[in-house]
Amino acid sequence: MTIHHHPPDELLTAFAAGTLDLGQHIAVATHLLTCPHCRSMVRAMEQIGGTVLTRLPPAEMSPGALAAVEARVGGRAPDDAAIPARHFTGFRDIPGLPSFVRRYPDSSWKWIAPKVHMRPIGLPEPGATRVFLLRSKPGTKMIDHTHTGFEMTCVLSGSFAHEGGHFGPGDFDLGDGSVDHDVRIDSTEDCICLVAMQGDLKLHGVIGRLLQPLIRM
Amino acid sequence: MRGDREAFAMLFEHFAPRIKTFMQRSGADERSADELAQETLLAVWSKAKLFDPKSAGAAAWIFTIARNLRIDGLRRRKRTPTQDTAEVDLEFQVDEGPQPDAALAASELETRVRSALSVLPEDQLRVIELSFFEEKAHAEIAEKLRIPLGTVKSRLRLAMNRLRGLLGDLS
Repeated sequence: MTIHHHPPDELLTAFAAGTLDLGQHIAVATHLLTCPHCRSMVRAMEQIGGTVLTRLPPAEMSPGALAAVEARVGGRAPDDAAIPARHFTGFRDIPGLPSFVRRYPDSSWKWIAPKVHMRPIGLPEPGATRVFLLRSKPGTKMIDHTHTGFEMTCVLSGSFAHEGGHFGPGDFDLGDGSVDHDVRIDSTEDCICLVAMQGDLKLHGVIGRLLQPLIRM
Repeated sequence: MRGDREAFAMLFEHFAPRIKTFMQRSGADERSADELAQETLLAVWSKAKLFDPKSAGAAAWIFTIARNLRIDGLRRRKRTPTQDTAEVDLEFQVDEGPQPDAALAASELETRVRSALSVLPEDQLRVIELSFFEEKAHAEIAEKLRIPLGTVKSRLRLAMNRLRGLLGDLS
């Protein structure tokens, strides 16, 4: 699998620093699953995290903090309490998702526009970012739209293209408030993407305005 | 066991106060930061089977533990604590499983990153540091360091490119 489109460095850094919200984290993690190069970048940023940690000025710990931790060491259960495999059973028909995502509530495909279905991924905590799968038939042309927030897309199967290039499995696309023109599905199979989205979509054109009330994304 | 305890005490004295600073800079109050620093060191102790805390890459490993506990702490404040830190740990496991050479590649990676960092100019490291931990937007970093926004971006870019260059032939 050749990957041509990666998350920007700032996003990989924020992933490693742990400052992304869960929805954004899932989109980046899905890309990392297929991209050894970005995994190396994240590992590198974690190394930097360690370096920066040792450079921070020390704060004064509360009196007896060490003794308190030492007292708890003996009574602590081993840390390998694994989460049972039966909890990882969602989205069976969708390859390419990070395993932790399979623990979240699954749901069925919902029609949202001609040839386009979406399937929400239920996150354990309500956040600013929603995550869903988007399945589009070959040849689908998306209506021109504007993002009111950012939108992260990671291709799981099939492919699409727009003015920014061609996006196949593993590719990561970041949309941020600008207008997307001419998004079209150019694979012969369905294109399935994981999408993390903040804000709403605003559709353009006559058909867009007609569809807008139907589309709640 | 006695030697282990002494080694742990030294590790605690070095890392706990810095982890507390990290937590405070990430927005935790003084008391939660103290508790999270203790939790981190407790986790370091119980996971020491998985990683030698005295090895060269220990700081990065301890950082990831602190990071995950910080996320866990933030969630606990927002919702009922029905989960444990294992959940956050899981969210950072994005490998398909260890490749045959993964361990070797990882240690090679660490060595390279450390040597890259040791030659990274102080001003570049400082910009990374701020963007990393304090969730500062580039504009805020520019203000704090009293440098133009363009300089913040170019320093970050330089540092990242250097890293990418070093990592390029590893992946």
